[in-house]
This record gives sequence, C-alpha cells and structure tokens, in this order.
Amino acid sequence: MINMNKLIRSATPYLFLLPAIAVMSIFVYLPILENFYYSLFRWSAIDPEMHFLGLGNYIRMFSDKYIWLSLKNNVLYAVISVFFQVAVALILAYLLESKLIRPAWGTFFRNALFMPAVLAVTVVGLTWYLIYRPDTGLINQFLRLINLDSLTRTWLGEADTAIYSVIAVSQWQWVGYCMVLFIVAIQGIPDELFESARMDGATVWQQFILVAVPMVRETILVLTSITVIGAFKVFDIVYVMTGGGPNHASDVLGNYLYRVGFRNDEMGYSAAIATLLFVITFALTFIQLRIGRSGSED
Amino acid sequence: MSLTGKSSASRFDRRNTIALKIERFFAYLLFSVLSIFTIYPLIWIFTNSVKTDLELFSNSWAFPEVFRWENYVRAWEYGIAGYIWNSVFVTTISVLLNISISLMAAYALARFQFKGRNFLLYFILGGLMLAPEVSLIPLFRILSSLDIYNTYLAMILPNVAFGIPFTTFLIRSYMLSLPKEYEEAAVIDGANTFTVFLQIVIPLSRPIIASAMLLDAMRVWNEFMFALTFVLDEDIKTVPLGLMTFSGALREEWTVVMAGLIISAVPMIILFLITQRQFIRGLASGGIKG
Repeated sequence: MINMNKLIRSATPYLFLLPAIAVMSIFVYLPILENFYYSLFRWSAIDPEMHFLGLGNYIRMFSDKYIWLSLKNNVLYAVISVFFQVAVALILAYLLESKLIRPAWGTFFRNALFMPAVLAVTVVGLTWYLIYRPDTGLINQFLRLINLDSLTRTWLGEADTAIYSVIAVSQWQWVGYCMVLFIVAIQGIPDELFESARMDGATVWQQFILVAVPMVRETILVLTSITVIGAFKVFDIVYVMTGGGPNHASDVLGNYLYRVGFRNDEMGYSAAIATLLFVITFALTFIQLRIGRSGSED
Repeated sequence: MSLTGKSSASRFDRRNTIALKIERFFAYLLFSVLSIFTIYPLIWIFTNSVKTDLELFSNSWAFPEVFRWENYVRAWEYGIAGYIWNSVFVTTISVLLNISISLMAAYALARFQFKGRNFLLYFILGGLMLAPEVSLIPLFRILSSLDIYNTYLAMILPNVAFGIPFTTFLIRSYMLSLPKEYEEAAVIDGANTFTVFLQIVIPLSRPIIASAMLLDAMRVWNEFMFALTFVLDEDIKTVPLGLMTFSGALREEWTVVMAGLIISAVPMIILFLITQRQFIRGLASGGIKG
C-alpha cells in the first residue's frame, strides 16, 4: 500500500505534464521533424507519391533568386523594426516617464499608441491597403492636398515602395506596444539612481544614457531578439497587403514558402524553405541566449 | 501614469525653468502628432464607412453629411456576424484548453522535483522560438489524416499547441513567486496533490490566469495563418480570415468593407480599454509579442 502511494506520488508531476507534452509533441515537434523529412522529396498535394531528391531542394535554393530577394526583405524588416521598436520605442517610453507630461495625458498617449497592437492583422492590413490606394487613399489625397502630386505613388504596387510600405505598417502597429514594455521596465528602476545622477548634475539626456539605458538592458536585449526573430517569421501582414507582389518585390521567406507550397503545390521545396527558416530562427535564438548569458555574468 | 502602481512623481524632476517649459511643449507636440498618426487611420476608416461609395471617391477627407448606418447592416448580414461567432467559439475553446493544460504543466514545473524536469522545461519553452510556418505542411497532413482538416478543431488544436509555451512560462514564473506555506499547511491537514492544486494553487494564481487568458485570447482572436491554411468552408471562418473573403467579394463596395473593418476592430479595442491593467501585467511579466 505504501509502495503504491509512493508510486502515485512520484508519477504525479508527469501526469500533470502529460497533456502539455502530448499536445506539443503531436502539433509542434512532430511536424518539425516531418518537415525536414518532407524536404528531401519532390511531391505535391495532388500527386502524393514522393520522389526522393536527397538535398536537391536545398541545392535548388541557392540558385533561386526569389529566396535571396525574400531574405533581403526579411533583413530589411529586421533592421528597420529594431530601429523603431527598440530605439525609438525606448526614447518614447523615457519621455512619457520623464514627467514632462501630466499623468492623465500620459495615460491617454500610452493607450493611443498601444491600441493598434490589439487589432487583427487583417484589420490592420486592409485598413492600410485602403489608405495606400492610389486614387481614394489617404496618403495620395494628402499629398495632392499639399501640392506634392509628384510624390504620389501606387505604394503597394511599385517594386521600389511595396516592401517599405508594408514594413511601415508593422511599425505603426508595434512601436506603442514595445514602448509600453519599456515603460514597465523604466518604472522598475529605483528612484535613487536618477536622484544621485541629478545630484551629479546629469541632464535629462545624460540620465537617459547613464541610468535608464543600462538599467533596462535586459528588456532591450529581449525586445531586440524578439523583434529580429519576428522579422524572419513575418507572414500574415505581407500576405494580406501585397501577397508578396508586385512580382515578388515584397516577398519574405514565410510568404514565399506558403506560395510555393499551397499555390504552386511544390510541397517538398516549400518544406526545404521552411527548414531554412527554422535554421535561421534557431541560430538567432542561440545567439540571443549566448549574449544574455555573457551579459548576466558581470 | 504608473502602470505598476508605484509612484514616481519626483522622477527626473528639475527646476521649473523656461527651458523646461519649452521641453514640455515639444513633448506634448510630439506625442500629440504621434497619437493622431496612430488613431487617424481608424477614424478615416470610420468616417468613410458611413458614406456612399460616391462620396468616398469624390472626397475621402470630408466628414459624412448623412451617417449611412445601412453599410453596417449590410456588412453584418454579408457575413461578419458569422465570422464573429466563429471567432468567439474558437477563441473561447482554445483559451480554456490552453489555460487548463498550461496550469497543470506550470504547477508541475514550479513545485515538484523530478527526473527530467529541466529537459521538460526546455521542451515546453522551446516552442517559443519556433516559427509556425515550419510546421505548416506537416500539420496540414496530420490534420487531414485525423480527419479534422476544415473543422473548428483544425484551428483550435494548433492554436493551443503554439500557445502552451508562453502561457506555461507566464504562469510558472508567477507560481515560483507564491509562498509555499498555504500548500504545506494543506498537506499537513491531509490534502492530496490534486486538492492542493485545485483549491489553493489555482485560486492564488487568479491574477496571472486573468492576464494569461487575455493575452492568449488576443493572440487566438487575431490568428490568421492556421485559419488560412486549414479551413475552406465559409461557415467556420474566423474574423481575420473572413475579412479577406469579405473584402474580396465586395471589391466594389469599399464603404461596406470599411464598416466590416470597424465592426471587427471594436470588440478588441473595448476589451483592451476595460482590461488594461491585467493586459499590462501580463506583458510586464512576459515581455513578448505576437
């Protein structure tokens, strides 16, 4: 009887974990392993017979110019997003916390800037699709209003502007969100630190560099890596706004692999691109963990 | 302004000089411009959603002369009502499943010593870094072979699986910060693990459960890719996907599309405004975005 009890007790944590492990094994980890397996074949949904290619799909990626174009757009996405969602968001958070602004207005500004983060990607995407429209869209109408007709464009339809127009929308949606995370972090800094910096005659700007930035370093690191990884995972906003067009100009990896798989029905090649995406996000996470660890040692 | 309830009135305060007044002016100016830039797109959509298409094309800036609410009726009847119901259903079930599963997992990871604990912790949290695109094609096949492709479950199950890592992480951190005395006292009184879990740990974790449910509801409500890939039937489409079909079908009636956008945006905005506190607590302890 006692042994029975002991057995039950030692099994307890595993029982509690069982549902999580089961669901994640079937719907998260098994698919990732299968994805790698599928990437070694040529196959399609219509003709499920699999033709073994070895690393053929991976070799094909090197000479596929759209892969490189997509990667370039992902990198562009990452760089611009880090600038706005880390650097700019941090400065805005600091300003809102600096008491230059009265609390009631501070709350209003904070909520206003945060709001787009709660909207569905299709709501955001379609809203901006309408704003970018060449004829009735807000932007071109505004440009015409101030006599800058020469600047009007088919924002989402021209190869030079499509990806930037989409990236801009992502900044619109997420800067306020990141700002709120920085506000929380800044509120966690002990007042004494700012006080003693002030005693030493530090200006508001110097307090920012010398006190705020070092004290929220952890949040900066986490947000930078989430933003960079997010820029490689990006799919839906591009899908909704441009579908990767015109002629692949705004393709990103997530969007390209979706099209290759579910539009062109080249499942094996799509799986290979997915593996590339997996390797990139895995490497970025690994780098983040390494930097995080070396940072916490001092 | 304080989000964490901590007063910081003296923060960065300095002498009241003219320079300070100028700085103050520019700070207000900056945030006013940014707020307008953030909110105006939605106001523009709203004002045009109560116009005729002709008015939209002739001048999209103008304030509507007559509010044409019939656009909203048309949007509602054209399918939005159904999409909202589907979203409510999928979100409710996904969030409840995810929270139940994650609560159990978090409890085991926070309160028990056992073999393989670290491995299982990384196994669950590892899901945080994975791009869901990577599992798209295999999931498509798994769901087909389980015969649930193109059903509510085809959205619910992947949503739950990809939600577990973050929710478990959030709840576990909170549980680690809870004092153990209540649980120990209950054990001395003869309560078994399940009673302790249900009657002590869960009630104590209520604040983080509320935050986790909100964040998860927002994620599931807005989920697009799984719905796009695993669902075909109009009858079970959720709002994010339904809006695509909706706007595609109404290419010529932009003002009705705009009404649809507003109807879809309003529930989330209201939910956010009334639950800010739980929302931000969740963000503060998790620090992650969709």
